[in-house]
Amino acid sequence: MKIMVAVKQVAALDEDFELQGDDRGVDPDFLIHDLNEWDDFSLEEAVKIKEAWSTPVEIVAVTVGPGGADEILRKCLAKGADRAVRVWEDAIEGSDPVAIARVLAAAAKREAPDMLFAGVQSSDQSCASTGIATAAFLDWPHAAVLTQLELAPGAKSAVFRRELEGGLLHEVEIQCPAVLTIQLGINTPRYASLRSIKQAAVKPVEVLSLADLSLSAADVGESGSASRVRSMYRPQKGSAQLIAGDAAAQAARLAEIIREFKGGSP
Amino acid sequence: MSGVLIVAEQRRGELRAQSLELITAAQAIRRAGDAVAIAVIGAAPDALAPALRLAGVDEILTIKVDAAEFDPETVEGALCAVIAEREPDVVLIPHSVDSFGYAAALAAKLRLGFATDVFNVQRIDGELVATRGGYGQKVNVDVDFPGKRTVLLALRGNVFKPPEQAASPRITAFPAPAIASRSRSRDFIELPAGDDVDMTGAEFILSIGRGIGEEANVGQFRELADAIGATLGCSRPIADAGWLPKSRQVGQSGKTASACKLYIAMGVSGAIQHLAGMKHVSTIVAVNSDANASIFGVAKYGIVGNIFEVANELRKLF
Amino acid sequence: MSRTDAATRILFEAFPTAEVRLFYLLSCVAIAVFGYGVYVQIRKYRRGAAFDLDGGVWRRLADMIGTILSHRTIGRRDPAAGAAHRLIFYGFALLFIGTSTITLQYDFLEPLFGVRFWQGEFYLIFSLVLDVAGVALVGGLVYMMYRRGWLRLPKLDYARPDRAPGDPDFDRPQYRREDWAFLWVLVIIGCTGYLLEAARLVWLQARPDVWDTRWWSPVGAMLAEACVSLGLTERGGALLRHGLWWFHGLIALAFIALIPFTKVKHIFTSAASLLVRDPQAAQRLPRIPESQAQPGVQKITDFTWKQLLNLDACTKCGRCHEACPARAVGAPLSPRDVILSLRDFAKSTLESGAIPAAAELDVHGKSPGQVAQETLWSCRTCMACVEICPVAVEHVPIIVQMRRKLVEDGAMDPLLTKTLQTIHKTGNSFGESKRKRAAWTKGLPFPVKDARKEPVDVLWFVGDYASFDPRNQKVTQTFAALLHEAGVDFGILFESESNAGNDVRRVGEEGLYELLANANVAAMAGASFKTIVTTDPHSYNTIRNEYPDFGGKYQIQHYTSLVRELIADGRLRVTSPLEYRVTFHDPCHLGRFNKGYEAPRDVLKSLGCELIEMGRSRANSFCCGAGGGRIWIPDPVGAEKPAQNRIMEAAAIPGLEVYVVSCPKDLTMFEDALKTTGNEGKFVVKELIELVREAVPARQSVGAPA
Repeated sequence: MKIMVAVKQVAALDEDFELQGDDRGVDPDFLIHDLNEWDDFSLEEAVKIKEAWSTPVEIVAVTVGPGGADEILRKCLAKGADRAVRVWEDAIEGSDPVAIARVLAAAAKREAPDMLFAGVQSSDQSCASTGIATAAFLDWPHAAVLTQLELAPGAKSAVFRRELEGGLLHEVEIQCPAVLTIQLGINTPRYASLRSIKQAAVKPVEVLSLADLSLSAADVGESGSASRVRSMYRPQKGSAQLIAGDAAAQAARLAEIIREFKGGSP
Repeated sequence: MSGVLIVAEQRRGELRAQSLELITAAQAIRRAGDAVAIAVIGAAPDALAPALRLAGVDEILTIKVDAAEFDPETVEGALCAVIAEREPDVVLIPHSVDSFGYAAALAAKLRLGFATDVFNVQRIDGELVATRGGYGQKVNVDVDFPGKRTVLLALRGNVFKPPEQAASPRITAFPAPAIASRSRSRDFIELPAGDDVDMTGAEFILSIGRGIGEEANVGQFRELADAIGATLGCSRPIADAGWLPKSRQVGQSGKTASACKLYIAMGVSGAIQHLAGMKHVSTIVAVNSDANASIFGVAKYGIVGNIFEVANELRKLF
Repeated sequence: MSRTDAATRILFEAFPTAEVRLFYLLSCVAIAVFGYGVYVQIRKYRRGAAFDLDGGVWRRLADMIGTILSHRTIGRRDPAAGAAHRLIFYGFALLFIGTSTITLQYDFLEPLFGVRFWQGEFYLIFSLVLDVAGVALVGGLVYMMYRRGWLRLPKLDYARPDRAPGDPDFDRPQYRREDWAFLWVLVIIGCTGYLLEAARLVWLQARPDVWDTRWWSPVGAMLAEACVSLGLTERGGALLRHGLWWFHGLIALAFIALIPFTKVKHIFTSAASLLVRDPQAAQRLPRIPESQAQPGVQKITDFTWKQLLNLDACTKCGRCHEACPARAVGAPLSPRDVILSLRDFAKSTLESGAIPAAAELDVHGKSPGQVAQETLWSCRTCMACVEICPVAVEHVPIIVQMRRKLVEDGAMDPLLTKTLQTIHKTGNSFGESKRKRAAWTKGLPFPVKDARKEPVDVLWFVGDYASFDPRNQKVTQTFAALLHEAGVDFGILFESESNAGNDVRRVGEEGLYELLANANVAAMAGASFKTIVTTDPHSYNTIRNEYPDFGGKYQIQHYTSLVRELIADGRLRVTSPLEYRVTFHDPCHLGRFNKGYEAPRDVLKSLGCELIEMGRSRANSFCCGAGGGRIWIPDPVGAEKPAQNRIMEAAAIPGLEVYVVSCPKDLTMFEDALKTTGNEGKFVVKELIELVREAVPARQSVGAPA
């Protein structure tokens, strides 16, 4: 059995970040990169399946990103992935989740896995779209926000639970192959020691271009995306507004804030 | 050609309230002459129509399908048909667990303009512009959709207020195509209550810190939290001391208040480890007797005072 | 010839040849058994991993002999045991040398060369000395019996915190049996020796060269007098002597034969352990050799021969058990029981002919002889155990190397896992951006030099807690001001500084430690300075003792030494002496690890404070509980924390005003404990720097420009 796990190297902002001159992005100097937290869980879920069954299971970690993303692929290899694939070309720059999904779907066609896992969303842009869009390009059954999964190698279907608002769980049966997006907390991702990451560094990363996937520049980047960034700016943020008065007055204002907040929710 | 299509969500025979917020958002972007239709998909959609008779809605589309509960391919199939026929400019859906399951697939399949977790929509020079967060909500990003005939937007909950006025939109039954879904809903499972409190899912949290002094004082704040409808949380020293279960701890070593929108911190100094779990919350109210407490640096509102007095006064008001 | 000249003892006098031959045969058997036992033990050690001993053999030998002869390590914190053991040791040693001397003449020198010296005055003095030695031996042993049986010292209690009642190895009655057997056998050997002397005297009372010189064996003589007065005849004496001779002889031979199989082997193993001692055992942990596939210790055979030897050196004295702060607060860790478990495990697996299969050699777990995860994770790596062990057992490296395996497997508390990932990502345990490391400098009225850009005299390695924790940042700023006012030319590394890695290494994440150490060494290579000062004892320890293994050799001092210098040469002037009654908590990594006890005390003295020592001070300082990565592991709810235990100790000092610390983690832990033990308001916790600031009020800078 082969499971393809789509992973992303996300960027967190440094404390005093600066925007780029064109106000459409953040100065890369202020980006701190790491493996997307959700992908830790989806990879772990794949590794758990591999360890639970005697049937050989091959796990391929795939990412769309520039050379720096090799770091997260190494982490995946250290955590139990068997192979790592990275797709990149400058033309892919500026792709939104739909464009990335197109690339991932092409990579999936090339890999021919039996299942495709992705995280529910990325911690940086939080679109919650890439995995499910990939499913559309593959025309595979799909489901999102999995918090529990029962999957046996070679099985025609899988049963899972998705985590709804308010703590409710919805149990569903889905035909395989399928694209599943995995939610935090489905398992406990294993720790990859620095040593194992260093040892994984000697394993090769297969680097593919668009041509290798029979895609063109039009399929990716801004032209392949479903939206375009007009501008990026800091949200207005003030320091704490101090509420004056005695305890009763302060409590009254606080009660107002609470009621205002609750007024909006169901 | 035009118009706004809203897709309501239903679960276990009930309409999800977040659906109604979309109606308000639709008004902000409808152009003169645009109709706003709201579609509801389910096995018995007629039953849900009355709840949608609100101002701002011109038409209710009831789409009857085989699947009683949410199924991605069913919803995609139904919406493909509606969008093909009605050709709306904008399709508004809730940014929710259900839409996580189908929205991107729909956008990819139909080559729609697409953005999710949008908390502001507007038209600038006639162009649709959506605002969402970026880099972990640290920046705002305005996106537009050049060249896209139809744009699909998933809107963040609790941003737009649902309309209050009633109206009488016409109700149309829209015939859904036959859909062969490859998933099948089986069951819903409620999680047992216990003290497996879900801090990560809580939207309103009242947290207590060392400032409360003794274990004996915890009860007072627990009661206050209940009264105001907040989930009781705490900072590390409280959990370490065993005054509250570890499941209630917010912070680097506890839970992250991921879904929290209103966070009241009483007697919490704001040590870095605690801030790590809650400083992202959009509205933080800090109550502390120490005017220099770090928590004021991340709070939207600050109350410098005796937390017991403020707590008592607050209790009286609920 | 005078009576004295003729004085001697004829060996085997009146014994039939057959009996003499039998005795020699039995001796050979005993020696053979002894030899086999030694072979089994050595084979066991050789089954451990390879290990290169560094340092000159002669120096080691000299150290070992000096330690043994002075009994310095046994007398620490238990002078009575030290005195009693000295008696036993010297008594036994003298008796052994005595017997060897006799054998030397009787079996070698006389038959081969005709040399006889064991007679006359030599023989008489010899007899006296051995009699006294025997008294010492028996006296010491009787005290030890009293100590075990009557005093019932807590450290000799074999109750263990890492097993529950019902576990197969919860109680270890075999230890008690062995302890008492050892004591009794030696006492019996000693006493029968005297009785034997007495019996011989009674038997040979007719011979003046024996009877007239009898008081040269005073105890034997007294007993002889008593026997005679009780009616023992010459004939009776002869019979008694013959019987006792065999009894004494057989027991002694059995004793010798069984040495390698019993506690008695500590004679050799403890000495050997002292010989191969690493004086920097806990301060400087070993790297993982490149050749080693799996990091850390999984199987008993992963331990080095030296560690296996350490396990056998342990005499169950319980000093480490007593000193351990984790055990003191009820955690499932006793260093003694880690060592004893592993020893039992080594014994049951490595002493048989063939080594069992790999699966049976796993030392991790809860079966008899194994060490549980909770036990390993309870350790604070404070080295109280290593420091007090009289026979140089090195517990901390054993625990850390077992932790390395746990880390590789990810078997850690989730908070610890997260912290390690955070440190990897941001270079600090707070998860703050690197850029914010020097944010504390922004509040200062003077600029702080960037040591990466301009040369400085003193590089100040600040450390995580001092840089990011709000409470500690105040102390950091105060220290900066003091340095500035004293005209010290100092700088910091700003965001090029990472967590020094001391605790990361002690958690067992060696790969991450290497990353941090290499990063810091590289950063320091890019700076120009003469010496390093640090306000963090953990950083001090690792930079001083471990960074040289990574190419970073520096002159480094803890701030207390620097402040002492500055006060001594007047660059900091105490103009408002403090008259507080204070106590000082020696931080583990400065005090016990690096013997830095005096500088902070000298500083307190020059500040005018009245210092009252706590009971557990200096080398016996009681760890705050934050070390070994424990600050990143949640404490069990409701259990006492070491810091609380320590604050209660301080609270017992009447009129105490200030509890002085000189470590950022101590400051955090003790301020917390002050509140949670209900002592808030009774006294305060202060960093030494803050007291210096009070006594040296802010003024214009002197000398060198800012």
